[in-house]
Amino acid sequence: MNVSLNWLSEYVDLAGKSVQELDDLLTFAGIEIEGIHTKGVSSDKVVVAQIMEAVQHPNADRLKVTQVDAGEGTLRQIVCGAQNYKVGDKVPCALPGAALPSGFTIGETKMRGVESKGMLCSGSEIGVPDQVNGLLLLQGDPAVGTPVKQLFASDVLLEVEVTPNRPDLLSHRGLAYELAALLEQEHQTLELPALPTRCGSEWIENDAEEACPFYSLTKISGVTVQDSPDWLKERLVSIGLRPINNIVDITNFVLHEMGQPLHAFDAAQVGVRMHLRGAKADESFAALNGSSYALREGDLVISDDRGEVLALAGIMGGATSGVTATTTDILLESAYFTPTLVRSTSRAHLLSSDSSYRFERGVDPEGVLPAAARAIQLILEIAGGQIEGETAVVGSLPVLTGVVELDTARLDQLMGGSIELAAAENILLRLGLSAVGENLWRVPSRRADLQRHIDLVEEIARVHGLDKVPSRMRATFVPASDIDAAADLDMNLRRSLAALGFFEAQTIKLIAEKQLVDALPLRPLQNGDLVAVSLPLSEDHAVLRPSLVPGLIATAERNVRQGLKSLRFFEMGRVFRHNGGGKARDLESESIALLLSGPVAPESWSAAPAVATVHDLKAALQAILPGCPLQFTPREREGFVLACDVTGGDSNLGVAARLRPARERELDFAHPVWLVELDLTKVRKWLGRRRVVEELPQFPGSSRDAAMEVAASLPAAEIDKAIAKAGQSLLQHFECFDVFTDPTGQKLDVAKKSIAYRFHYRASDRTLKNEEVDAAHKQVLETLVKELAVVFR
Amino acid sequence: MKDQILLVQNDALAAIAAAPDARSLEEARVSVLGKKGSLTVLSAGMKDVPPAEKGEIGQLLNSARTAITAALDAKQADLQEIADRAALVGIDPTLPARALPAGAVHPLTLLRERAVGILRRMGFALADGPEIEDEFHCFDALNTPADHPARNAKDTFYFDSGKLLRTHTSSVQIRMMEKCAPPLRITAPGTAYRRDEIDSTHLSAFHQLEGLYVDTDVSLPDLKGTLEAFLREMFGADTAVRFRPHFFPFTEPSFEIDVKLEVKGQAPRWIEVAGCGMVDPAVFEAVCQSRKDRAYDPEKVTGFAFGMGLERLAMIQWGIRDIRLLIENDVRFLRQFA
Repeated sequence: MNVSLNWLSEYVDLAGKSVQELDDLLTFAGIEIEGIHTKGVSSDKVVVAQIMEAVQHPNADRLKVTQVDAGEGTLRQIVCGAQNYKVGDKVPCALPGAALPSGFTIGETKMRGVESKGMLCSGSEIGVPDQVNGLLLLQGDPAVGTPVKQLFASDVLLEVEVTPNRPDLLSHRGLAYELAALLEQEHQTLELPALPTRCGSEWIENDAEEACPFYSLTKISGVTVQDSPDWLKERLVSIGLRPINNIVDITNFVLHEMGQPLHAFDAAQVGVRMHLRGAKADESFAALNGSSYALREGDLVISDDRGEVLALAGIMGGATSGVTATTTDILLESAYFTPTLVRSTSRAHLLSSDSSYRFERGVDPEGVLPAAARAIQLILEIAGGQIEGETAVVGSLPVLTGVVELDTARLDQLMGGSIELAAAENILLRLGLSAVGENLWRVPSRRADLQRHIDLVEEIARVHGLDKVPSRMRATFVPASDIDAAADLDMNLRRSLAALGFFEAQTIKLIAEKQLVDALPLRPLQNGDLVAVSLPLSEDHAVLRPSLVPGLIATAERNVRQGLKSLRFFEMGRVFRHNGGGKARDLESESIALLLSGPVAPESWSAAPAVATVHDLKAALQAILPGCPLQFTPREREGFVLACDVTGGDSNLGVAARLRPARERELDFAHPVWLVELDLTKVRKWLGRRRVVEELPQFPGSSRDAAMEVAASLPAAEIDKAIAKAGQSLLQHFECFDVFTDPTGQKLDVAKKSIAYRFHYRASDRTLKNEEVDAAHKQVLETLVKELAVVFR
Repeated sequence: MKDQILLVQNDALAAIAAAPDARSLEEARVSVLGKKGSLTVLSAGMKDVPPAEKGEIGQLLNSARTAITAALDAKQADLQEIADRAALVGIDPTLPARALPAGAVHPLTLLRERAVGILRRMGFALADGPEIEDEFHCFDALNTPADHPARNAKDTFYFDSGKLLRTHTSSVQIRMMEKCAPPLRITAPGTAYRRDEIDSTHLSAFHQLEGLYVDTDVSLPDLKGTLEAFLREMFGADTAVRFRPHFFPFTEPSFEIDVKLEVKGQAPRWIEVAGCGMVDPAVFEAVCQSRKDRAYDPEKVTGFAFGMGLERLAMIQWGIRDIRLLIENDVRFLRQFA
């Protein structure tokens, strides 16, 4: 809301208050000032001065030393850098002590060793537009010593942000009331002529009492519609409104003065009877803004006996029923429209106005008729004419406020004892509440936000200020929640991955449907599993991610475009899906995903690093899940190759795969893209497992190597299984240490591979004899031959 | 015999001294101390030495062996030293590092950890709730009127089911109060969603940090003391903090908090960092109804709540000008947080 400081000053004494002080005062009362725009200069100490002499400054080429007549009887010496004047010109002169719009206060000073007792000003320095580069040359020969503010209207425009609970502040009088309370001044009341009323039900039919509990109409005939007088135009222009004609301007003026929207109809353009009703389904409305609206059933309209829609109640008047230059008789509407209905209609038609803005927040019921009286007073004064009969009213004004009890003990508790009861009561009194009993407060009608004890406390705390409240810190022990524990594990995991060269990505959880081809959820998606928002902002953010992988691929793609070759990313966070084709709805679970592609180390002058393979991905997983018996079991996934289920012991951790080569090429990836997505809760379970230390071996062990020839296609996992089947109790562990194939077939049949294992044997209670080791090893090898028909080399 | 010993000793010492490399040194050793070496052969002759001379000859043989062995060891050390030095030739320590892969944790994570860490030290436990919320937890229970502007398909992401993506993490307050009886002191970092077009200062999905403290005597001094301590820990012990009265449907009284940001070379300015307030009794009443008990009877408990935007804090903390850097995951950006 725009507020003119000049206008505001008519209702509250702001003398001696700087704009900065007002800004602070309002800010710390909860009324945010979003902008301050100064027009003209307000200080008395900027006056008209005539330049009587100008000589070169002895120590500075660009400066002159002037003697000016500022109407003080003696000449004043001022050093000036401007070039655009001649002796005899009249210019604005800021005397010492003058506060300029920039916030700068002029003092006496020395410039390059020469005394300067003030400043000659340019236009912008006193808040009027610059027309030339240099001093503002005053036209019309004003008398020296005249305050410049008499030549140029000065004002400050405040852009005020009023919170939705305070519609009472949406006018100059409303804000003045608040300021008077904050400044501990008496509130200045407005004397208004009486407004005689009569029951208007014969003229006004109200079929929408819920939407419009109170409606008044005053007929004024014989008005002369013309331009508004200057003072009225100036008021409207000062807050950024465009003057239209005297009648419309008066309704706008009263809205911004008192906060009550009004509307004036041209009496010649409306029927004999007025009709307040809900709109019909197929009705349309031509508004005065030139647009036409297809009304919804139930939108409150002001209509007449001819059935025409004259206005969308509380929001905007119609194109044909408004006041024009030819209007002679008017109907002035002042009403109380129910906020929720105005808001609903305004939002449905994306149509808002100064009027709807106030009605949807709630106007002061007791301000409805005074605003009409105020407008009528101004119309009769400015546009002439006379009231025909009395003001017709239908319905009754809602009573929205009452008596609220202040619980003083709880006030004291909440404020930490920082305010005396008398001071708290004084705040309520200043805000216009009245004491009607012990701790009982009657709330004025314009403050419908004050309904409960706590609402009164808020007022006291707000005006008292939190700076006067002491600070207290009461930290007590709080046991870690499951979420605390999970967060700590997650952070360790992130640090491990960062140390392994992975960058943590955080991507937006709403993704494009076309990204779903890259999804690698723990379980494949079925129809109906996707969670899509009803009204996405764009195609790019239409569904909640069922998997972290699409985000990682997009991240890698972006970095490839920036020239990155070694791609290592991870993300941890929520994924979303319905489950079983939508049977279990809105499941949110947590995943961790890794993407690995390209050189496993950054390039350097040393040997070129290897390109990442599935075994590097496995190495990364093994590094973050130390000791976990990871197993990859191939299982096909659409959109991917070499897909495997990833298990750790008896826990299904997730899925790993390589992106389809065709998709890799499509996205310009130079190397295979390896991906894994794991169930984060299961990963945490492993990381958070209870550890029991194993005794260190007391006796030495002994190892045996065995290289075997097997079919090239035999998965190593089969060998692992066969070894396990041997059940050899002395076998502590074993590892594969070589895989050999010969594509030429010279040293080894191309259909075969040689795979070598090292087997470690040990007993916990003795040093094994060679014969014992040999026997154990033989048993393992025999099992391998039996299970897999391997041939030892 | 004596002369022979001395001759063998001298020859051996000369051969050792002359040996240019490890191989010739080994040859020299074998020729003297090997099975058929000259000193070995002489030692074998001891059996023919008359008993009267045995002592003297034996001593001579021993001292020759000691001298030769010492010379061999010394020469071997010398040769090793030369070889060690030769092995260093060509190593240029001024060449740049051979690279190790180095990653980084995302700045939003770092910031969240820091903020949450401070709060946990003050006795706040971590909490969480669903991102797909219902109107009750996101709006109704938080005292948000039915026709509040946020409850609109234009500003909030709804699903056909009527559920929505939470517009703030404040819904976690309700979830936690439903689950746990007071006293309750929690902090909930998480994602929130609003239908804002993405630009340099807006994201449609962003992160908030929520806090809630409910007990029998929580007051404005607690709110003030806790948040001052938090912000000074976050922004520096000397940071000026101010509370401006504001309006939120779910707290009363409500405040916005500014910190005075002092950046070298810039005029200090107040920057809004958080919203806070005393939990509105209507929120407690809604929780009581949902719990079907009076554990959160607004006549008995009070509390404060606060919330802040993590992206905003990150932007202030690191001078990030465009919020989109935080979602683009460009390694050139992420690397700066390694």
